[in-house]
Amino acid sequence: MRKYKKRVGQSKAGRETGNGTGQVHADMDAVLCPPSPCRLNFPATRDTLTYEQAQKMVEIELEGRLHRINIYDQLSVVTEDEMLAQDLTDCNSNKENSVQSRARQRNKQAVSKSRKKDAKHAAKCRRSGSQCSSQSHVCLTHHIQSPLPKPTFRKVEKFKPSPAPPLPVAYYRYMEKSGEELDNEAEYDMDEEDMAWLEIVNQKRVSDGHASVPPDTFELLIDRLERESILESRSQALSQSTIDEDAYCCVCLDDECLNSNVILFCDICNLAVHQECYGVPYIPEGQWLCRCCLQSPSRPVDCVLCPNRGGAFKQTSDGNWAHVICAIWIPEVCFANTVFLEPVEGVKNIPPARWKLTCYLCKQKGRGASIQCHKANCYRAFHVTCAQRAGLYMKIDPVRETGTNGTTFTVKKTAFCENHSPPGTGGEGDEDNGLVGGRGSRGQRSYTLSPPLQQNQNGRKKGSATQQKKTQKKAAGGSRKTGVPLLLVPQIPSFRLNKICTGVSVERKNQFMQRLHNYWLLKRHSRNGVPLIRRLHSHIQAQKSEQREPDAKLQAVREELKYWQKLRQDLEKARLLIELIRKRERLKREQFKLQQAALELQLTPALVFLRSTLEKLQEKDTDHIFISPVNLKEVPDYLEFVTEPMDFSKMHDRLEAHKYISVADLESDFNLMISNCLRYNSNDTVFHKTAMQLREVGGAILRHARHQALSIGLDPSTGTHLPDKHTTNGSTVSWLDEVDLLLDPENRVHMSPEDQLKNLLDKLDLVASMRTSGGRTKRMRLLRREINSLRHKISHQGRNRRLLNGKMKEEKREKRVDKMDFITSHADPKKSTSRKAQEPSCPASSPLPGDAPPNPPLFTLETGRTTTPGQSNKSGGRRQKGKTKENSQSEDHDGFVEKEEENFHSKKHDTVASSVQEEAFNMVSSPKMGVGRRTSVLFKKAKNGARLTKEKSVLLQNGVSKVENGISPREHTPKTKLQSAKSTSPSLHQLRSRGPSTCSDSEGEKSHSLPEENGLTNGLKRQNGNSSDSEGCIPTFPTHSSPPTKRSRGKPAMSKVPVGAVNGVSRSRAVSQNNDEMDPLTLVWAKCRGYPSYPAMIVDAKMPREGILHNGIPIPVPPKDVLNLGRRRQEVTNEKLFLVLFFDTKRTWQWLPLDKLHHMGVDDTVDRLRLMEGKKPNVRKSVHKAYDRAMTHLSYVKENSTFNPSNFI
Amino acid sequence: MAKGMYLEHYLDSIEGLPCELQRNFALMGDLDNRTEEKKAEINELAAEYVAKVRTLASEERVQHLKKIENAYHKCKEYSDDKVQLAMQIYEMVDKHIRQLDADLARFENDLQEKLDSGIQDSSDEKHSQKDKNIKEKKGSHGRDKKGSDQDSPKQKKQKNGTSPNVSEALLTMHPSDVLDMPVDPNEPTYCLCSQVSYGEMIGCDNTDCPIEWFHFACVGLTIKPKGKWYCPRCIQEMRKK
Repeated sequence: MRKYKKRVGQSKAGRETGNGTGQVHADMDAVLCPPSPCRLNFPATRDTLTYEQAQKMVEIELEGRLHRINIYDQLSVVTEDEMLAQDLTDCNSNKENSVQSRARQRNKQAVSKSRKKDAKHAAKCRRSGSQCSSQSHVCLTHHIQSPLPKPTFRKVEKFKPSPAPPLPVAYYRYMEKSGEELDNEAEYDMDEEDMAWLEIVNQKRVSDGHASVPPDTFELLIDRLERESILESRSQALSQSTIDEDAYCCVCLDDECLNSNVILFCDICNLAVHQECYGVPYIPEGQWLCRCCLQSPSRPVDCVLCPNRGGAFKQTSDGNWAHVICAIWIPEVCFANTVFLEPVEGVKNIPPARWKLTCYLCKQKGRGASIQCHKANCYRAFHVTCAQRAGLYMKIDPVRETGTNGTTFTVKKTAFCENHSPPGTGGEGDEDNGLVGGRGSRGQRSYTLSPPLQQNQNGRKKGSATQQKKTQKKAAGGSRKTGVPLLLVPQIPSFRLNKICTGVSVERKNQFMQRLHNYWLLKRHSRNGVPLIRRLHSHIQAQKSEQREPDAKLQAVREELKYWQKLRQDLEKARLLIELIRKRERLKREQFKLQQAALELQLTPALVFLRSTLEKLQEKDTDHIFISPVNLKEVPDYLEFVTEPMDFSKMHDRLEAHKYISVADLESDFNLMISNCLRYNSNDTVFHKTAMQLREVGGAILRHARHQALSIGLDPSTGTHLPDKHTTNGSTVSWLDEVDLLLDPENRVHMSPEDQLKNLLDKLDLVASMRTSGGRTKRMRLLRREINSLRHKISHQGRNRRLLNGKMKEEKREKRVDKMDFITSHADPKKSTSRKAQEPSCPASSPLPGDAPPNPPLFTLETGRTTTPGQSNKSGGRRQKGKTKENSQSEDHDGFVEKEEENFHSKKHDTVASSVQEEAFNMVSSPKMGVGRRTSVLFKKAKNGARLTKEKSVLLQNGVSKVENGISPREHTPKTKLQSAKSTSPSLHQLRSRGPSTCSDSEGEKSHSLPEENGLTNGLKRQNGNSSDSEGCIPTFPTHSSPPTKRSRGKPAMSKVPVGAVNGVSRSRAVSQNNDEMDPLTLVWAKCRGYPSYPAMIVDAKMPREGILHNGIPIPVPPKDVLNLGRRRQEVTNEKLFLVLFFDTKRTWQWLPLDKLHHMGVDDTVDRLRLMEGKKPNVRKSVHKAYDRAMTHLSYVKENSTFNPSNFI
Repeated sequence: MAKGMYLEHYLDSIEGLPCELQRNFALMGDLDNRTEEKKAEINELAAEYVAKVRTLASEERVQHLKKIENAYHKCKEYSDDKVQLAMQIYEMVDKHIRQLDADLARFENDLQEKLDSGIQDSSDEKHSQKDKNIKEKKGSHGRDKKGSDQDSPKQKKQKNGTSPNVSEALLTMHPSDVLDMPVDPNEPTYCLCSQVSYGEMIGCDNTDCPIEWFHFACVGLTIKPKGKWYCPRCIQEMRKK
């Protein structure tokens, strides 16, 4: 009854909601009653209703039939006591009103069974409004509209709910309990056997006066035992979890295992069979049991077809058992289902003859059916399994044919007896062909002969009861092959037993437990060790397959390993840290070094600065001439010339001793060093040249250093920084104005010439250091001109001052020297050659000419000097004064000279000048060939032969004799005029020596230190050396001294003097710039942009088109387009360009301005420098080649010439 | 069991390590203190010099400066000592690490033999294998570096990629352990790229190279070069000179 009521509630729920509350007219209680008319009224079929219809219908199914009740229908109320009672219990069971008052329960009952909450609620309300009182009847109200009914209830005292009948299964859902839950309750259910046993036990106990054991306790204990056993077996299983690698199917005796046909192992008997061989198309989840373990676990089965036991069995259709293999081989037998290979059919069809055959292997007759050797005429019979055991040849060709029955599993089978086994397969033959050799032994292992008396002996099927996992691979318990039945059930130690029964209160516990345990053991045995609780069994298996190494030992090892790895990591961390420390310390060390350097800079910036300057200077001394003191052993006379030796090492020492405070200190020492060298070494020695060079380069460095020092703001007294560093180089814009300002002579009027010079030089430096800009070059040129003129002026002034002072003694001496020179050169032409060899003595030795000792050792040193004849004049004279031993005549000369001096005191100038000039002309003019017409000028200018030549040689060394060049055109005339007046020499002198000759003179020093004025400086130096000479001359011609100065100032050539030196570039360039015109056919270093200086020859653009010969060497004619190009370019730049012909392989032409050309072949060092100019090796190489070519050219040219410039050099 | 033995021995040997480290670090700290003292002294001297420089004759100045220089010299000595010490310590730890690696490899070998069947979670293995490799490399890298640090003519220090592979199988059983070795933010960085060391590294043969170690890839190497190798920076430096 309740059944359908509920149903209504459920099925209607959805629809009723739609109706809203209060529309429930039909009380379900009415429906409930079997006699209810509605059932009769509305029998209906289950046809489909529209939604609207459905809303108005209540559908009920009563006793299989469907009823529909319109909600507007009136239902009669049926009262029935029993029903109500029933309802109440039902109510209770449904927990609808569990603890509430009975009245209320009842009310609910009355109304209830509402289909849904709303309805229920409404019903309640309604009920409250109405009277629904009595326990025996329910009233049905029709008034729905009553407002908010108040619940009223009353207690029913005598009510007792009756137990509700069980609900239909549909209402129950099975909730699987979790493992833990299951563990806590007894899963075991007693079977009849257990009941019987318990009864017996209880009887005994009762008779002994003990309380009987309730079945619940029994179940619990068995359950616990099971659990224990499983735990036990688990640990055991681990110890014996060996994998049977050579498991083989006991049907086909093959161990092949494919994915589609794996070998399965029975979880109880450990039987191994192929899926196909045993008919297991799908591998089941969980455990798999063979048929006989599944269906008769406790009883061993015997094959009806053979006497052997063991192996894979299937049931026959008549309930017996048969080997699968037997069923396969015996022709009359087949499988009903060829997929599942069961049941075995056709046993009955086996002809009696077959039953009667005697197996020749087991000699048993009448037990099972045998097959016969397939060899014709051989009638030996054998059981299939016996044959397998014996390893007979049994070949199954897996040919499935549709047999007579349509689905028969037919294969082609051939089996031979021992004697007819195919050759090569007998005995231990190969295993490919059927059952031989190894297979035989397998077969042997597979079966045991069942004893004639068939007893209840457990075969090996009872084998390992331990849970052998069925694996896809071959895994099997190793116990199968042992003949002895295994210990199936793990013994549970007594202490565990005690533990098990702690929660149970049983009298005589121990005794009972023992019995129970024994009983349990027996029961397990009887079940072949299959656990009594299925769940645990499979559960454990699952567990096992999931994680099969809950090995304590493994765990331990892992722990250990973990430990070591942690250790390793820690160490690694330590190492990293230490690596960091190491790095840190290294950095600290570096930091210290830096700190030291910084502190040094802070404390002694001047020192550092000077040091670096000194190093720079030293770098320029590439030949290391000045690096160490002069070896006095080698040149014992050195000190006679040089009072204060100086060299770089000494300078270093002095520097470190804080003897230098400013750049000026360093500079003075540097100059001292240079002048020492110049003094001691004659001007054509390597030393001399190097010194000159160094002076120029070093001068630039020093000047630069001075600037820097200024800008750095060094305190000259302390060698530290000035407190307030004044930032120099402030305005880059204003410098132009400054320069311009300075360039105007008017603005410098207030300054002394020296200051002016200094200023100008500074400005020049400044301008040179500027970035290239429009006004730069122009201003530089202007500055240079100003500087040059200033120098002239200064030297002039200096001389004038001298004149005033008038040192007569020196004059005299000078004159004497001159005269003597003159005389010697004239008197003894031979001597001049010898003099040449002696001249290396320092050119500056004139101040102490008389002291000059014979200096043979020096001569040996100076091998390379090839002196011009003119040079010999002075040195010769000096040597004579020095009483060189070689020239015995010199003494005579001396005497002669002295005499002469006295005698010709008045007219000495004339004679000397003229004679010297003449001589100089003779000697100098020839070398000048290459340089052109200057010689004559030079010559004329030279009043003092010695000085002149010296100057000239220097100039030549420098590559140009610019002064002469510049002067020549204009001075020529005045000079000739002067010549008569004997004033040439002073004028010349003035030109050359702006710093009037006094070595100690500060101006002189300064001008020395400013090496940009290359040629000029050279001349000046020379003059320093010969100062006495000039002085000697000057007094006589005071009037003449100024004009040359003026002249020189106006000379544009002079203005160009100091170009390159500013930048520390070799002086020859600067010198060459003075050369307004490069003579055609001179060899030059031509500098194109982007290339190093390259050997080239200047070619006259106006040369005849038919070509010319230069000393017999043909000179290439410039192509027309080149000429045109040059013309155009000259127009554009408004600058004189020279046509040069490079000595490269292609003989390229180029137009270059003068400042890009520098004389070549004049100074070896310069040439060498130029050769090294190229940065890239290949460029350098090509320059070298070109240089060689140029030299060859030069030598050709020279061969034909009367004068060989190289000799001169 | 032999395994237990050598690991035991290792434990014994490493027992002294912390003390040793402590001692060395204390020494270093001591040196550091002394350096600091010197530094203070130098500062004093410098201040004094600046104050008195006007009144000092050049000889005095030289003397004074000499003093400062000497102090610096001492400092430098200390610094050298410290570097030396650091290298020694590194050496020591490295030695232990190598020893441990060797022992572990042996241990794992033994273990491997014992549980030949212990090949289950192969996936896990693979996972951790990678890790391991990285770690191994690191280890070997350090090793190499060490060697080169000691002898100034650094021999080619190529990572020997053949780290104990044997151990991997087992080590990998705990991928998590290896994984959770945290990336040390302070791990020293090398190379032009300022990354931590990984893969093959090459050391610059300039002993004063500030970087020392370079990844092959960063310097465009695939195989280790023959002869001396200098890093790009050092080459530049040398060119300048």
